[in-house]
Amino acid sequence: MTAAAPTGLRDTVRAVLRHALAVYRDSPESVRWLQHHLDRFDEPLRLAIAGKVKAGKSTLLNALVGEEIAPTDAGECTRVVTWYQDGHAPAVTLIPLGDAPPRQLRIRRDGGALEIDLEGVPAEKVDRLEVTWPSTSLRSTTLIDTPGIASLSGEVSARTDRFLSPDDAPTAADAVLYLMRHLHAGDVRFLESFHDKGVARAAPVNTIAVLSRADEIGGGRIDALISARRIAARYRADDTLRGLCQTVVAVTGLLAYTGRTLRQDEYAALVRLAALEPGELDLVLLSADRFVREGEPADPPAEVREALLDRLGMFGVRLSVSLIQQGVTDSAVLAEELVARSGLAELRQVLATQFTQRRDVLKARSALIALDRVLRVDPRPAAAPVAAEVERILAGTHDFAELRLLSDLRWRVVRLPRDQVDEAERLLGSDGGSPAQRLGLPADTGPADLRAAALAALSAWRRRAESPLAGRMQADAARTVVRSCEGILAGLPR
Amino acid sequence: MSVPEAIQLVEVACKATTAYGRPDLTARLRRTRERLADPNVRVLVVGEFKQGKSQLVNSLISAPVCPVDDDIATAVVTVVRHAEVPSVTLVREPAGGDGEPGGAERVEVPLSELAAHVSEAGNPDNRAGLTYAEVGIPRALLAGGLVLVDTPGVGGLGSAHGASTMAALGGADAVLLVSDAAQEYTRPELDFLAAAMRLCPNVAAVLTKTDLYPRWRRIAELDRAHLATAGISAELIPVSSTVRQAALRTKNTVLNEESGYPVLVRYLREQVLGQADLLDRRSTAQDILEVCEQLATTMRAELSTHQDPGKAQEVVAELERSQAAAARLKDRSARWQITLNDGVADLVADVEHDLRERLRRITTEGETLVDAADPAAVWDQFAAWVHEQVCAAAAANFVQASERARALAARVAAHFAEDGEIVLPDLRAVPHTEAEVSRVTPMTRPELAAPGGGEQALSGLRGGYMGGLMLFMPLSLIPGLAVAAPFAAVGGALLLGRKQVRDDRKRALQRRRSDAKIAMRKHVDEVQFQVGKDCRAMLRTTQRTLRDHFTEIAEQMHTSMTASVAAAQKAVRSTEAERATRIGDLEAELARVEHLAARARAMAGTR
Repeated sequence: MTAAAPTGLRDTVRAVLRHALAVYRDSPESVRWLQHHLDRFDEPLRLAIAGKVKAGKSTLLNALVGEEIAPTDAGECTRVVTWYQDGHAPAVTLIPLGDAPPRQLRIRRDGGALEIDLEGVPAEKVDRLEVTWPSTSLRSTTLIDTPGIASLSGEVSARTDRFLSPDDAPTAADAVLYLMRHLHAGDVRFLESFHDKGVARAAPVNTIAVLSRADEIGGGRIDALISARRIAARYRADDTLRGLCQTVVAVTGLLAYTGRTLRQDEYAALVRLAALEPGELDLVLLSADRFVREGEPADPPAEVREALLDRLGMFGVRLSVSLIQQGVTDSAVLAEELVARSGLAELRQVLATQFTQRRDVLKARSALIALDRVLRVDPRPAAAPVAAEVERILAGTHDFAELRLLSDLRWRVVRLPRDQVDEAERLLGSDGGSPAQRLGLPADTGPADLRAAALAALSAWRRRAESPLAGRMQADAARTVVRSCEGILAGLPR
Repeated sequence: MSVPEAIQLVEVACKATTAYGRPDLTARLRRTRERLADPNVRVLVVGEFKQGKSQLVNSLISAPVCPVDDDIATAVVTVVRHAEVPSVTLVREPAGGDGEPGGAERVEVPLSELAAHVSEAGNPDNRAGLTYAEVGIPRALLAGGLVLVDTPGVGGLGSAHGASTMAALGGADAVLLVSDAAQEYTRPELDFLAAAMRLCPNVAAVLTKTDLYPRWRRIAELDRAHLATAGISAELIPVSSTVRQAALRTKNTVLNEESGYPVLVRYLREQVLGQADLLDRRSTAQDILEVCEQLATTMRAELSTHQDPGKAQEVVAELERSQAAAARLKDRSARWQITLNDGVADLVADVEHDLRERLRRITTEGETLVDAADPAAVWDQFAAWVHEQVCAAAAANFVQASERARALAARVAAHFAEDGEIVLPDLRAVPHTEAEVSRVTPMTRPELAAPGGGEQALSGLRGGYMGGLMLFMPLSLIPGLAVAAPFAAVGGALLLGRKQVRDDRKRALQRRRSDAKIAMRKHVDEVQFQVGKDCRAMLRTTQRTLRDHFTEIAEQMHTSMTASVAAAQKAVRSTEAERATRIGDLEAELARVEHLAARARAMAGTR
């Protein structure tokens, strides 16, 4: 939580992993498992993008990277789990199921989109594809695209299940973005089920739900995104969902991606569209079929309009035209507006506060779960100190205590009065780890004000911790919040 | 419209049967008339959440009747039918009652208040307990007897909504599965379509929001391929409500064509109404033809005796043989009776066994879930899960029962119809009703000792992902059951030195678990009893309907044959002079009956 703690945590966890490696050196399977997790500990955070079929997973991935690397299509498209990681040169590696050796695939790029051909290997024999791509966006995070759940081919869904919640191992992703079009009962059940039981109580801390394809809500009307934000806000307040994910964000991946890559000629075409007679324009924008109709209007030509529709969707076109009519005069400004309205910035912000800042804690968590499994499957006397150390880390690290309390609050295992819950969650770092974020103050607040606010929070929570009326659980929770307040104070310059 | 024509024809036939002194045949025609007088053709609009079902209904009748919102879904079934004056009636049937028509409570509310009663915003999870809302509106499309039923989103067949939708399917004349063009069909949707095909004569797949998705043609193509692969012969109709509404606003016929709605309306008019109409006409014509045949038999018997007195004895003997055959058909030992009685007995046993099997699986799965968690903490979720599973089981059981009952009816008819076509009784009239599923009341919470640690989610809960008919994620997939919580270890550490407390807690937990299991078993027993009873009642009604129907026909045949024998014997005794006039009379009468029969045949044959 303070600057020193995570590095300390990282070293301790690494040390305990090494210790375990030494204890289990005679068991090749355990060694391989532990070594794998020791290596993984230093890799970028693994963020899986999951969701039902056609929830827009690949589109959002492209938007996050800012390049069209994941293939997208109107039909069901992603059929195998695909990892996108940073590297010097583009490469695609196919990792087959079982012990077969990995093989390099040829890379083809067709008009920007990356085309991946499995070269005759059937999809059900593929464990995963690893796409290496030079991109700054992938440097701190490895993105993992997964096939849709409730896919028509049961086998494709099963591959996602296997990846996100394999029955014999902790999940391969450190954190999950769960995309849903609009909440279905199935989505909730999926969120409930894809965390392994051992970490279930801490599950919400590594999941963010995304209301994707937000532009299609309300039939792509110009106010669709306002509706989408309202729906996301309702979900955030929903008790079931609060217990399942950190927060809910509305994003339209297509708009975000196109906004990030808008070209001058596209802008020019949109300007020409915006200049049409209002009556004619209404008819042109009425339906996708009308929008691409030959000769109506004569300018811009049908193939240009078709390309625009591919890039922006009906909502994007309507929004762009209306923005231009309202006085946007420059393609850069339009692009900025589109990205701003797409909700991508909000998502990035959430990703940064929830995952990137907590990277070490999440990584340590993944590693300790893996280690715990070895200790359980193969208990031996020599491992007792390792087990004790794991327990010590879990019990003694305040970052874990914060995560745990956060999720307990979310799952309402610990109940606090409603007005105290929000404050407690914020102080525990649910909105971000910096002192200002924890105290709910603007980022430019001076140290003196921060100190005053932290002291006020400290004494308030100390009182709650010592209140004779508080139950044991409430008191414990209050004590954890007190420690967080102390941490904030310790981190402030004197 | 040929319904008036059909009614007119039935009237004529009635006059004839009265004139010829056959009250039994008159009674039969009266019932035919009653059936014709009720022209309701129910079209169920079903689909997942937020696919544009209400919008579709509104666009069809070009009036904003069903509430439409970006976020808030429909919570109560809305029935839209024709009425001279617009009206909204909220109907609340007593829970768990026997569905007596008099028991329902009906409240009229202003049109503007409908949204407050049927949407999730005004009536979340239908807390007001409405059975359905009925909207009457003057519309040409509905005047032909078309009734549109807007349903809450089906969250898979396993949800309580899904189960009651399945039960409603049995009584529907057509089903429109609404799915938007954002994506191709998912497994639950296809499963639903397949189940619907088994229960309902007309199923169409409507692809909505084609204005928003440029690739809708591709999606339509994929969907058609999925339908073909699954062997579902449903028509796929792409529509756009937005374009339709713009067309209605601007009275633009070109736009209207583009919206795809004319195709849908044509489908409803020609396929659904047309087919219901055709069925009506066919069965009416069949009824009249049979009545004619029976009348003609008697006359022909008399006529042939008159025409050829030498062969009179032969004719009488043959007629007596036929009479005996008709009498045998009435007999309880007739082959069709045996088929029917044995068939129903088998069916009852099979259906009951099927239900018991399904419920047993739920019990076993439920016990596993209870063992994996603290029932006090997860009770609400657990109860909801049990309820959902039980509903799905009841629905699936019902589908099976009604399907097999129909097959049995066909078999009985085949045995009965040794000579000539026999009309199948309208089994849709068999009261299967929603009552069967609505009976499944939520489980009562047992008195559990104080919950240990507040509420927590039941993480192992994953039985039927998106539906009971497809166990998408079997329990065996529950991850990490072998990996105990590393965080739980902390809890353990905190409790060190408090072993006594922990043991007490363990015992309390054990007790809660066994209490929960007992509660579940009791509930499942109760459900099995209720659903089993309803199913048996349904099958018994089917049996009675079939028996009465065929017995009646057998009796009518017997009466006809008896009359024929009597007429022929009388003819033998008549004088030469009487004979000549009688032949003339009979030929004229026969021509009249034949004319009636020809009209009936014409009605059945033409559209």
